[in-house]
Amino acid sequence: MSKRYIFLAGLLIVMSLGLVFVPAKKETIAIHPKQMLIKINNPARYLSTYEVAKRIVERDPSLFLIDVRPKEQFTIYSVPGSINIPIKDISNPEWQDYLDQDGMNIIFYSNGDVSADKAWLFATEQGGDHLYVMRGGMNEWYRSIIKPIPPEDTAPTEEFEKYAFARGACAFFMGSSASIDNSTMTDKKTVVVRKKKKKAAEGGC
Amino acid sequence: MGPLTYYDIISPEWNYVIALIIGMGFGYFLEATGFSSSRKLAGVFYGYDFAVIRMFFTATLVAIIGLLYMGYFGWINYNVLFVHPTFVISALVGGVIMGFGFIMGGFCPGTSLTAVAIGKLDGWVFTIGLFLGIFLFSETFPFIEKYYYGGDLGHITITEYFNISPGVFVLGFTIMAVALFYVTTVIRKRVKSVNY
Repeated sequence: MSKRYIFLAGLLIVMSLGLVFVPAKKETIAIHPKQMLIKINNPARYLSTYEVAKRIVERDPSLFLIDVRPKEQFTIYSVPGSINIPIKDISNPEWQDYLDQDGMNIIFYSNGDVSADKAWLFATEQGGDHLYVMRGGMNEWYRSIIKPIPPEDTAPTEEFEKYAFARGACAFFMGSSASIDNSTMTDKKTVVVRKKKKKAAEGGC
Repeated sequence: MGPLTYYDIISPEWNYVIALIIGMGFGYFLEATGFSSSRKLAGVFYGYDFAVIRMFFTATLVAIIGLLYMGYFGWINYNVLFVHPTFVISALVGGVIMGFGFIMGGFCPGTSLTAVAIGKLDGWVFTIGLFLGIFLFSETFPFIEKYYYGGDLGHITITEYFNISPGVFVLGFTIMAVALFYVTTVIRKRVKSVNY
């Protein structure tokens, strides 16, 4: 065999030998950065508290709520039907199956949006799909569902409908005996004040 | 086209154009190395020319080593490469038929087309026979379907089947190929050379 063939054969053997010592590359199911940006900017990834409450009331079977607050806060109160995965444990392999479930809509929430957004980012990066964040978190849930504030008289009809729904949802979540705790907040009856027509002054000149 | 489309350097539509260019290059180099000559191709069976077997093994080694390194560097996703399903019975029977055809005709399907391209009559006859064979196969397929799909092992690779690491397998394959190259050199020296 000529020197050229010996060199080429040696090169092939050395390169294949290198493959023996090269560590096996761990495949990560990473989302492409462009796709990630599209998902981050998509406003549909946020669900309002009304939408979440509606799905719970309608017993949507595809709904899966994840509370990413610390365990102590979860124990005090949480949205009914949710499980607790504290944000600091979100990367624990024990919870990975919960973050990507075929056919389920997974909704993260925290007290605000920050921790829920972090959880959403992490789960999306792992290749999860149908992931959402409850906008406003528990703070908004409390304000809009548990203790809804009656809308102003001049508010659009939609606000009144939301308020009516929130009162019903609150009764659903807290029990019929639970008050909205707005005992002083009764339906304000709109009283139309009719000013008496001033009579023209009589008499005189 | 591997890393180029994976990293959005070129759009996926370019895959078809690149495939066309690669195909043309493949045909060019086949003809340039003399593989449109049936005598040269048949030489592997008679011991006076081992260019075919060397070319195939070299191409296999370059491809597998290149793919594994590209997978390691993250340029391609090695795990999503398509693996043809393995049908043991079909592979054995088809291999025997292919071997007989190769020895008798002096061509394989790809090289017969390069012979057709340069106007060789034996290439034309072989290619016509090839299409007749395809027609015969498709017409008799209902009768042989059971055997065609026999011995289905699925989309499996040797490394998965024997549970060995790809690196070890490639090293063994490389050593075997280099040894084969040496053996073919020895045989060629001992067999009477043929002018073709």
